[in-house]
Amino acid sequence: MYQYDDNDRRIITERARQFRGQIARRLSGEISEEEFKPLRLQNGLYMQLHAYMLRVAIPYGLLSSTQVRKLAHIARTYDRGYAHLTTRQNVQYNWPKLADVPTILDELATVEMHAVQTSGNCVRNITADHFAGIAPDELEDPRPYCEILRQWSTFHPEFAYLPRKFKIAVTGAPGEDRAAVRFHDIGLRIVENERGERGFEVLVGGGLGRTPEIGRVCRAFLPKRHFLSYIESILRVYNLFGRRDNKFKARIKILVTALGIDEFRRRVDEDWETTRTPELELPNEEIARVAAFFEPPPYEPLQTSDRQLAGFELGRDRDFGNWVKNNVMRHKVPGYSAVIISVKAPGTPPGDVSDTQLDSIADVADRYSFGRIVVTHTQNFVLSDVKTSELQRLHAELVALDLGKPNANKLTDVITCPGLDYCDLANARSIPVSLEIAERFDRIDYLNDVGDVSIKISGCINACGHHHVGNIGILGIDKRGEEWYQLMLGGSPGNDASIGEILGAALAQDEIVDAIERVLGRYLQIRESEDERFIDTVRRVGLEPFKQAVYGSVAKAAAVGG
Amino acid sequence: MPAPNRWVVTGKFTDDGSNAWRRADGTWSRRLVEAGLYTEEALANAQVAETIANEQRQISDAYVIKVYAFGATIDPLTARERIRANGPTIRVRRPDPERGSKTDGD
Repeated sequence: MYQYDDNDRRIITERARQFRGQIARRLSGEISEEEFKPLRLQNGLYMQLHAYMLRVAIPYGLLSSTQVRKLAHIARTYDRGYAHLTTRQNVQYNWPKLADVPTILDELATVEMHAVQTSGNCVRNITADHFAGIAPDELEDPRPYCEILRQWSTFHPEFAYLPRKFKIAVTGAPGEDRAAVRFHDIGLRIVENERGERGFEVLVGGGLGRTPEIGRVCRAFLPKRHFLSYIESILRVYNLFGRRDNKFKARIKILVTALGIDEFRRRVDEDWETTRTPELELPNEEIARVAAFFEPPPYEPLQTSDRQLAGFELGRDRDFGNWVKNNVMRHKVPGYSAVIISVKAPGTPPGDVSDTQLDSIADVADRYSFGRIVVTHTQNFVLSDVKTSELQRLHAELVALDLGKPNANKLTDVITCPGLDYCDLANARSIPVSLEIAERFDRIDYLNDVGDVSIKISGCINACGHHHVGNIGILGIDKRGEEWYQLMLGGSPGNDASIGEILGAALAQDEIVDAIERVLGRYLQIRESEDERFIDTVRRVGLEPFKQAVYGSVAKAAAVGG
Repeated sequence: MPAPNRWVVTGKFTDDGSNAWRRADGTWSRRLVEAGLYTEEALANAQVAETIANEQRQISDAYVIKVYAFGATIDPLTARERIRANGPTIRVRRPDPERGSKTDGD
């Protein structure tokens, strides 16, 4: 895990001290909210529907148990006893008082954490595959490159005021994209060329929001040594030509679409030829220096545990078996497994985790997984390095903490934005819909029968809940001041990236979960076999059968109006 | 929902970002029910301008909302403003100890 050097410590400490002064001036009335707003946003501090919200950066989602205990302490001491996991692998606190924020930042700095660049029109937290470093299908660990990008982008003077926010994700697993890289401003895939050399496929112009786009290939193979200089050229072209007159047209995807990928690429290449200098080249020694922070933990030499896992899945303890089946993933090291800790228990807002749960997660991470925890963009935790032989004991402890739900990647593992319960931008509530889904479908046999189906809910078109790429997407909309919901089908964030299509007329809150149940009922009727996933059925048959299931007939769907 | 017949000035307490509603006596409350009612939107807008000019230390992001007022009841017209007034509709682990009990935000 990366450790701060003197420079990291200095800039974070200085920034916290600077922001303390700015907050003092705001509280004294010396500066107005209008003057203060851009300053607080640069430090991850939002003004939300009921209170301030502080978003804390977690680079590529990786935390130590010490950091998790600090997050628990902050939740307990300065907030209302919980933190919320975000879809950029960060955490946010929903209730900090302004006067407490400088102290919170000082506390975070003691464990090498901060809140800079978690808001504003800058390069945001770099995200990665949550199984980075341990996935059997991984070509190379993406986290060293994420860390290099973090250092390069932090306080980069040229890119502090981009036309709009900028999001980058990296994956090292060519076969399965768990980081949704095609829906980022820049998505990086570690690949090998025909000579067996490692480098990056560079995707650009992906994103969600009001204009969802799948990223396009800007460069099929970028040698590692040019990693920073090429990305810098992309940022420079965006900074120069991206629109600043309309925030809804300001993301890089709009520029890429307007220019066309060929012209965009030409401009990037033109800039790259003239600006790349030896200082921005990444020598192998530097990559190796950063990669050394991500060396594997001291694994014990163990026998492969594949048969043991299969035995667990079929064993007498059905709760444990289902948890192994759904929440335990294969590890590249024999005898070890990766565990998804579901933060999606019925009755609790998705992604909310209490101070006591955080403390307990830190404890189990210390005892079972070398003290490391990963936040996923799906608002769960991962313990990356658990001995397969210890899974049963770990499961029992997680169940006692209300963190043992066997629903990873299942229907009730819903990505949910804060919605109108918290967010100042939202049109409709997301969390109550998600809670109703969790309650309605909380039957393990049904979850297993329906299989891997992703539901993603956003309370507005900004799409923080990634609704466009849910197999089932739900978008909250405002109609004359009241909450309505659009249902979408067919989205996927992975290598088979697709954007969901609206099924029909908007539905009232008390209709939306019934509609999902009817969609799933139709899927179970028409799937060709138990192996045909929901998304595959939607792609095979289109929306028509599902429209009929929800609206009775297509004519009725059209007549109701959207 | 009946047609709106009154206007209310609202904003945020700078100290904690909680919601504020302006009382008729010029102080600020954390409870919508204590809000002063304006019979003309122009008067409420004038008060917002006054707040931005002179009360920016205490109050941030002031604006006007339409409400339906009848007797002691003040109903906002939108889901957003109802949730602003009443708090999150889902369980918060440690509820706001002040909501509903504290009558002044001064």
